[in-house]
Amino acid sequence: MSGGTVDRARAMAAPLGRPALAAAAFVVLAAAFFAVIGRNPLSMIGVVLEAAAGDSYAIGESLVRATPILLCALATALPARVGLISVGAEGQFYAGAIAGTGTVLSMLPTPGWTMLPLMLVTGALGGMALSLLAGLLRTGLQVNETISTLLTNYVAALLVTWLVYGPWKSPASQGWPATVEFPAAAKLPALFDSRVHAGLLIGIALAVVLHLVLTRSRWGLVLDVLRSNPRAGLVAGLDFRRNALIVMALGGALAGLAGIAETASIQGRLQSDIAGGAGFSGFLVAWLARNHCLRIIPLSLLVGALLASGDGLQMFAQVPSSVTLVIQGLLFVAVLLVNGWLDRKRPG
Amino acid sequence: MTTFDIVLGSFLVSALRSATPLVFVLVGETLVQRTGSINLGVEGQMLVGAMAGYGAAALWGDPWLGLVAGAVAGMLLSSVHGLLTLAARANQFASGLAVWMLGFGLSAYYGAGLVGRKIEGFGTWRGAGPDSVPVLGPIVAGMTPTVLLALVVAPAVAWWFWRTRTGLVWRAVGESPEAARAAGLRPIRVRLQAILLGGLLSGLGGAALSVDHTRTWAEGMTAGRGLVAVGLVIVARWNPWWVLPTALLFGGAEALALRLQTADAGVSAHLLLTLPYITSLAVLTLTCLRDRGQAAPAGLRAVMDR
Repeated sequence: MSGGTVDRARAMAAPLGRPALAAAAFVVLAAAFFAVIGRNPLSMIGVVLEAAAGDSYAIGESLVRATPILLCALATALPARVGLISVGAEGQFYAGAIAGTGTVLSMLPTPGWTMLPLMLVTGALGGMALSLLAGLLRTGLQVNETISTLLTNYVAALLVTWLVYGPWKSPASQGWPATVEFPAAAKLPALFDSRVHAGLLIGIALAVVLHLVLTRSRWGLVLDVLRSNPRAGLVAGLDFRRNALIVMALGGALAGLAGIAETASIQGRLQSDIAGGAGFSGFLVAWLARNHCLRIIPLSLLVGALLASGDGLQMFAQVPSSVTLVIQGLLFVAVLLVNGWLDRKRPG
Repeated sequence: MTTFDIVLGSFLVSALRSATPLVFVLVGETLVQRTGSINLGVEGQMLVGAMAGYGAAALWGDPWLGLVAGAVAGMLLSSVHGLLTLAARANQFASGLAVWMLGFGLSAYYGAGLVGRKIEGFGTWRGAGPDSVPVLGPIVAGMTPTVLLALVVAPAVAWWFWRTRTGLVWRAVGESPEAARAAGLRPIRVRLQAILLGGLLSGLGGAALSVDHTRTWAEGMTAGRGLVAVGLVIVARWNPWWVLPTALLFGGAEALALRLQTADAGVSAHLLLTLPYITSLAVLTLTCLRDRGQAAPAGLRAVMDR
C-alpha cells in the first residue's frame, strides 16, 4: 500500500477511531480506579450499565439527569463559537431558577395558563442577565470570562440559599429550607408517564435549531470567522463585541431555562444545591462534542446516564455517590488525553 | 490600649488567618501563570490537600504531618494537569476543570470517614505575646504557624523569583517560550516544575485551611478559594510581591463577613458569604480597567486571549 492510501485510510478511520480510543482509555481508567478502591471492575461496570439503562425506570432517570446537562452544554457551546470559554452555566442555572421562581411566587394565589410560559421566559431572562454580566465585563473591560463566570457561580448559588432560608421560605416546610410547592400549572408536561418532562424535547429541538443556524446561516459563518481568525473578522468589519454579547446572552438563557425547568418539574420547589453540577457536566459534554450542537444530544444522554448510574451504585453496591464525580473526571481526562495526543501530531 | 486598637488588631488577625490558605495557593498559581500555564485545577488540588492534610493530622496526631501530606497530595494531583497540558497538549481550561472534578470527587470519597472527626490543631500563642502593645499585640497573640509560614513563603518566593538565576529562567519561559528554547532553556520542563510546585503550594494551602484555619473537613470545603486565586493572580499583576496584600483583600472580605455575622447586623449570613466573591470580582474588574491586560506575561496572553 502506498503512503497516500495509508494516510487516506487513517483519515477516514479518524472520526470513528477517536471516540473508540477515548472510550477505551476511559474504561481502562475507570477500571483502574475501581480496582484501587478495592472493587471488582467488571461487576462495577455491570452495576453501572444496569443502573443507567437496565429497565424503563433507569432509562427515565438517565433522561431526567440528561435534560439540564443538555441545555447547559448548549449554553457552553454557544459562547465557544466565538472562542469564549464560559464556565458559568451552573450560576446561570441558579439565576434562571431564581427569576422563574419569582414569577411563580408572584402569581401564586391564582395560577392560570400564563404561568408556565411566563415562568420559562423569566427563567431564561434570569440566566441571560448573569451571563450578560460576564459578557459585558469581557467585551467592555477585558475581564477574562472564564474567571468571572466561575466567581458568579458561587454568588448565584448563595443567593438561592439566602432566598430559601429567608424571604422565600415556605412556612409550611417547617425546618426544611425551600419555597412553597409549585402549582401544577407551573409544571412542564411529563413524558411517557415518568419523571421525564418536556424540557428534554425543548432541549433537543433547540440543539437541532442551533445546529442548523450555526452551520447553515451567514451568522454562523460570522461566528466561525470571529473565532478562528479575529484579524480577518476585523478587516471584514465584523463586530466581535456585539456577537460575543449575543452568544453569551443566548447561552445564559438556555442555562436559565434548564434551571427553572428543573426547579418546577423535578424538584417542585426552589431549594439549595439543585443544580448538582449540571452546569459543569454540561461543560464536559460541550467539550466532548467539540461544541457541535448535534453531537451534544447523544453525549448529554450518555453523561446523564453515567450520573444516574451513580445513584444505582449507591443503592446496589454501597459505593458513595462521590465515586460518580471521580468517574466523570476520569472521562474528561481520557478524552483530553486522547484528543490532545491525536491533535499534537497535526501541524498548527 | 483602647477598644478600637483591640478591635482593629483582632480584625487584622482574622483577615490574616482567612488569607493564609489563599497566600500559598496564590503564590503557586502566580508561578504557574508566570511560566505560561493556567491551572483551574488548583481548586481540586486544594481539596485533596485539605482532605489528606486533615486525614494525616487525625491519623498521626501531628498537624505538621498534616501540612506535609496535604502538600504531597496537591502535587500528585497537579501532575495530571502537567500530563494533560504538556504531554498531550490539552486545552488548559478544560484540563483544569478535569483536575477540579477529580480532586472534588477523590477528596469527597476518601474524606467521607473524616467528617466529624476531631484533630489536635496548632494552637495560638495567646497570652505569650506582648499583649500590651496596641494593634500589634492582638496580631502576635493570634498568630499560628501556618500564618507565619505564609508570611515567610510569599516574600521568599518573590525574592527567589526576581533575584536568582532560576527565577530569571522561569520569567524568560513565561515571556517567550520560543526565545527561551532558542537560548537553550527547556520551557516544557520549567512549566512542569511550576505546575508541580503550584500543586504543592495549593495542597499546602488546602491543608492550612482544614488543619489550622477551620479545623474541620467537609466535602467541597474550599468553596471556590482556588478559583478565586486564579483570578487574584491578575490582581496581583503576576508578581509574587503583591500576593500578600492581594490575599488580604479576600481575607479582609471574609473576616468582615464573619464579623458582621456575629455582630448580628441584620443581614443574612448567606448574603454576607457572597462578599469575598464579589470583592474578588470587583478588584479584578478594577485591575483590568487599569491594565487592559498589558501586565500579563506574553506567553500567558497567548493562552488567555486565544
